[in-house]
Amino acid sequence: MSLGVKNVEIEPAVRDLRNRTLARLPGDVSRLVYLASSRDLNTGRYSHDGIAFHFSENVASKAMAACHEEIFDRLVYCSLEELIEELQSYISSTAERPGDVLQSWKRLGSYRVTIPSECDEMAAEIFLSNVKIALAILQARQESAFQDGQFA
Amino acid sequence: MSQLLPYLGVASLLLVVSALWARQLFLTRKSRIELIVSQKREPTSGSSASHRDHGERIFDLGDWDFVSRNAPSEIQEMFLRERAILAISWLRRTRARISLVMRAHVAAVGQIDDLHLATELKLALSYLVVLTLCDLLIVWIWLRGPVRTRKMVGRTLRTVAWLRGAFEQLMARVSAEI
Repeated sequence: MSLGVKNVEIEPAVRDLRNRTLARLPGDVSRLVYLASSRDLNTGRYSHDGIAFHFSENVASKAMAACHEEIFDRLVYCSLEELIEELQSYISSTAERPGDVLQSWKRLGSYRVTIPSECDEMAAEIFLSNVKIALAILQARQESAFQDGQFA
Repeated sequence: MSQLLPYLGVASLLLVVSALWARQLFLTRKSRIELIVSQKREPTSGSSASHRDHGERIFDLGDWDFVSRNAPSEIQEMFLRERAILAISWLRRTRARISLVMRAHVAAVGQIDDLHLATELKLALSYLVVLTLCDLLIVWIWLRGPVRTRKMVGRTLRTVAWLRGAFEQLMARVSAEI
């Protein structure tokens, strides 16, 4: 897996981030949520104490932005089926009830803040549309499973 | 009425010749055309996925196969609605981008000494064809949905790819002249 990072300066930081932090997270949606939540919404800068300690705050922020874009692109271009699996994996990894997470994501549109600042508008539109459909499918599956449980 | 016949004949002949010319143009270039039209975007990280084409993603039939097999009818309708919105948005952007490049080309073409009239005419014709195709596709998608228009979109993508290639060649000539 190659990031294709143009800037040689951030490559070691990207490797570090990928191997130490992102590899531990279950799936790309979890990684996307993690990276988006590490971003200051006022400045758009990312923070990671470990990477910043080894490299610099600026390099850490750039490395995180690069990983964020890479993961986002993967999710934009993955099939709807894969996206549903990724979402399911993320929801299972949280301590919350799946139904509550789905409701919250649908109602609040929490996934909107996971979009990287450097992505183009069309990619963002595709992502939002696909997540919306994926959430609807997951909710339909959950309702169906709930009804099956009630009648069993 | 009979006085108009010669004019109608000439107009029809011109139309047929233009259509044949355009067809020949696209068919000869077809083998060399890459279906993927790279985006204008220049990301800071330069990720590999960013060079893929949004049009291909939007009109991917794999998703529709999955949704039609695994989702209830209301979600299938939602999927088709969402894809139609995306498809129309993508076509509008493609149209706007091509128009922008054409305007830039028209502005720059005055600086070329050895202007190839045939190339310019081909370019102008292709430009009009692409704009018309984009407009027709927008209406078609709006009426029939994105799944049934997949073949037409494939042709449009190839035309757009050729047009962009031709623009790039001409723009390179312009830069060399300057």
